[in-house]
Amino acid sequence: MSLDVLSDFKASAQEANVLFYYSGYFSQNVIAAMAETIRSRLAGSDISNTQRKKIFSSFVEMSQNIVHYSADSLTPSEITDGEIRRGSLCIHLSEDGYTLLSTNPIKHSDIERLRERLLPLRDMTLTDIKQAYRAALRQEQNPDTNSKGAGLGFLTIARDASAPLDFYFTPAPDDPTSILFCVKAII
Amino acid sequence: MNHLRIPASPTTPEVEFDFSAHSLAIKGESYPENASAFYQPIIDATRAYLAECGGSAITVNISLGYFNSSSTKLLFSFFEALNNSAADGNHITLNWFYDEDDETILEFGEDIQEDFKSLDFRSQIIELG
Repeated sequence: MSLDVLSDFKASAQEANVLFYYSGYFSQNVIAAMAETIRSRLAGSDISNTQRKKIFSSFVEMSQNIVHYSADSLTPSEITDGEIRRGSLCIHLSEDGYTLLSTNPIKHSDIERLRERLLPLRDMTLTDIKQAYRAALRQEQNPDTNSKGAGLGFLTIARDASAPLDFYFTPAPDDPTSILFCVKAII
Repeated sequence: MNHLRIPASPTTPEVEFDFSAHSLAIKGESYPENASAFYQPIIDATRAYLAECGGSAITVNISLGYFNSSSTKLLFSFFEALNNSAADGNHITLNWFYDEDDETILEFGEDIQEDFKSLDFRSQIIELG
């Protein structure tokens, strides 16, 4: 790769108002380092503390989802600590607000489960979302739900977003046998 | 156990539970990779301590600037354990410190207050950085 490619890449990112972009392997340590840089980028921007906290929260939920659920894992699937999985995360400023976009490969068999979880959120008002969040918080954890978090992650992002969450599934360009799961949140 | 002390890390809070002084404090940020692995031992130690207490005045100080969804779930279990003990006769004051711009943490505090009525819940605005 020549230096020109890198400077073109940087120029395009700047033009698209990209605040942060990372594509590669995610781990808890990588998230902690990203958290530090995202916080300092946000501190230098002209936004309210409330919005800053919401962007930060959505970033954490999205990147921890990648660590827990991406189908491309460097670590054995049975471990629950020190997981390393692949995905990407982008934060950019659009005319609608700050947009967070996360992608990660998933298995075909995960599509239905994710769709069932995310589709209802799209039709919910903020009041509905807060109510569903409270109900989920009080629910006993079900060991069969395949959720390593509390099932609260998407509800947390939806609660902080200013528009319904967008999500889609698309064949991975580099591997047609795998599906890319993308979530977009406007804060 | 008389003392449970866990230093803060970039993604986990400082835990300072001085059981002999009936003083429990959690402070910092909470987004560990595995919230159960972090909080379950803390909840278990607290339950064991509470089982030995009767009619004690216990102070719990929580000042968290941020916690992720899975930490929220575990904190809820922690407060539930405190509430059960308060219903059994301990007097438990829960000081809930939050940043005034943080509606999420304010609302979570309101939920705790609503669900766990045996706790003497006091919320306080503080600059959490």
